[in-house]
Amino acid sequence: MNDPLSKEATATDIARAVMSGKVKASAVVEAALTRIERTEPAINAFTDVVAQRAKRRAAEIDAGRHRGPLVGVPFAVKNLFDIKGLPTRAGSKINVDGPVASRDGSLVRKLETAGAILVGGLNMGEYAYDFTGENAHYGPSRNPRDPTRMTGGSSGGSGAAVAAGEVPLALGSDTNGSIRVPSSLCGLFGLKPTYGRLSRAGSFPFVDALDHLGPIARSVGDLALSFDAMQGWDPDDPVCTDRPAEPTLTELGEGIGGLRIAIAGDYFERGAEPEALEVVATVAKALGASRKIVIPEAAAARSAAYIITAIEGSQLHLPRLRTRPQDFDPDTRERFMAGALLPGAWYVKAQRFRRRYRAAVQKLFAEVDVILAPATPCTAPKLGQVMMKLGGVELPVRANLGLYTQPISFIGLPVVVAPVQRAGGLPIGVQIIANHYKEAAALRVARHLEKEGIASAPPA
Amino acid sequence: MAEDKPDIGRLVDEAAKAIGLPIAPEYSANVIVNYERSLAIAQPLLAVELDDELTPGPVFRP
Repeated sequence: MNDPLSKEATATDIARAVMSGKVKASAVVEAALTRIERTEPAINAFTDVVAQRAKRRAAEIDAGRHRGPLVGVPFAVKNLFDIKGLPTRAGSKINVDGPVASRDGSLVRKLETAGAILVGGLNMGEYAYDFTGENAHYGPSRNPRDPTRMTGGSSGGSGAAVAAGEVPLALGSDTNGSIRVPSSLCGLFGLKPTYGRLSRAGSFPFVDALDHLGPIARSVGDLALSFDAMQGWDPDDPVCTDRPAEPTLTELGEGIGGLRIAIAGDYFERGAEPEALEVVATVAKALGASRKIVIPEAAAARSAAYIITAIEGSQLHLPRLRTRPQDFDPDTRERFMAGALLPGAWYVKAQRFRRRYRAAVQKLFAEVDVILAPATPCTAPKLGQVMMKLGGVELPVRANLGLYTQPISFIGLPVVVAPVQRAGGLPIGVQIIANHYKEAAALRVARHLEKEGIASAPPA
Repeated sequence: MAEDKPDIGRLVDEAAKAIGLPIAPEYSANVIVNYERSLAIAQPLLAVELDDELTPGPVFRP
């Protein structure tokens, strides 16, 4: 077990130590706030630190007022989550002029009910239309593995804060890859659950048809622990499932026995840099997986996810594009404007195609339980980098970091990103994809890789 | 054929007028670049043929 006051401490380490009385929650929060103060100038993960609130909560815990599986664990959330008393920035300048949140977002409340302590709001790409973690208003979040490089986005601050060891746990959102891309580029474990599994109430939307929320952490146990605490029906999110919660933490010890694991071929092998495919091969070997399968029409799925995102996201922001275009981040403004002009027929076609693609992928899950694919086509690009070479072709960074994540979230499949640290190089992640509501299967595979030392997420 | 290629600049101008979205001249070139990029990325979807029976994905529950 790590020292609960160190940056290496996981949420599990901290909760155990606080629960057993070995350490006070107040000391844990103080240690986290000190790390944040020291590290922020280099990585710029936070936009808001709620120090007083966190200290108050810790004192309440130390007085025995709150208990739970995450007791005393400091966490932070992408700033599209409502934090009572603060404007919900969603990475924008415009929202700061809006109302302050009257209560915390649903998942913030659930984590605090489980004993965790919110310490702040995290930087993100404007309105989540981003794969880089850059932001013109608040500056880029910087990758703790190499601060001259991108964190990936749009949950860039979530990746930076956890990779730097400021907090052991952060929440992000993932519409097309925004949890999985920073998890890959920052070398962290990330969970994008099944669409509708976790409530999105009290978070600023981007694309209702595709928005998911989930955790980023440095251990698989922490993903499961926090995911279990956040499960459950919420009438305030019409998409949230009314299926009973299915605890995953107790499943982690099951190992990979009985799981049929395959590697995604075809689309998921094209256009990647060698390191992205090498780590998939390393992980597959460690799992004894050699079967290759083809996810049919993945290119059309990526295309459809892109179109739904462009049209739905742009429609959401159209009033602001009309009245305050100068206040948008230049990197999102013209993409939103273009999206507002795309033909509506494309949107309907994309939604109709979504059903066919879902049915085809469901057929695959009759034969396999888990599919492996690269999380990103490359390791972290340099900050400010606009174009990158993938498979010998020059492509825009922003549109292409999510090449392999988009066809998966398009139909809401649960995914765990397992990070592989590369000697002398930057980390990169592998997507462990399971069937709908089978988060436990993906987590079991990730846990096996962690136990075998193949996947790991030490703080930078 | 070259003459089949749409004039995206004109399309953007007219569509923006139709929905009442003012696009300042300094933003225009990049809006066109992004529209062209979307058109290219949309191609795999546009090439798909769907059965008439296939209804859209979203479920509205009254």
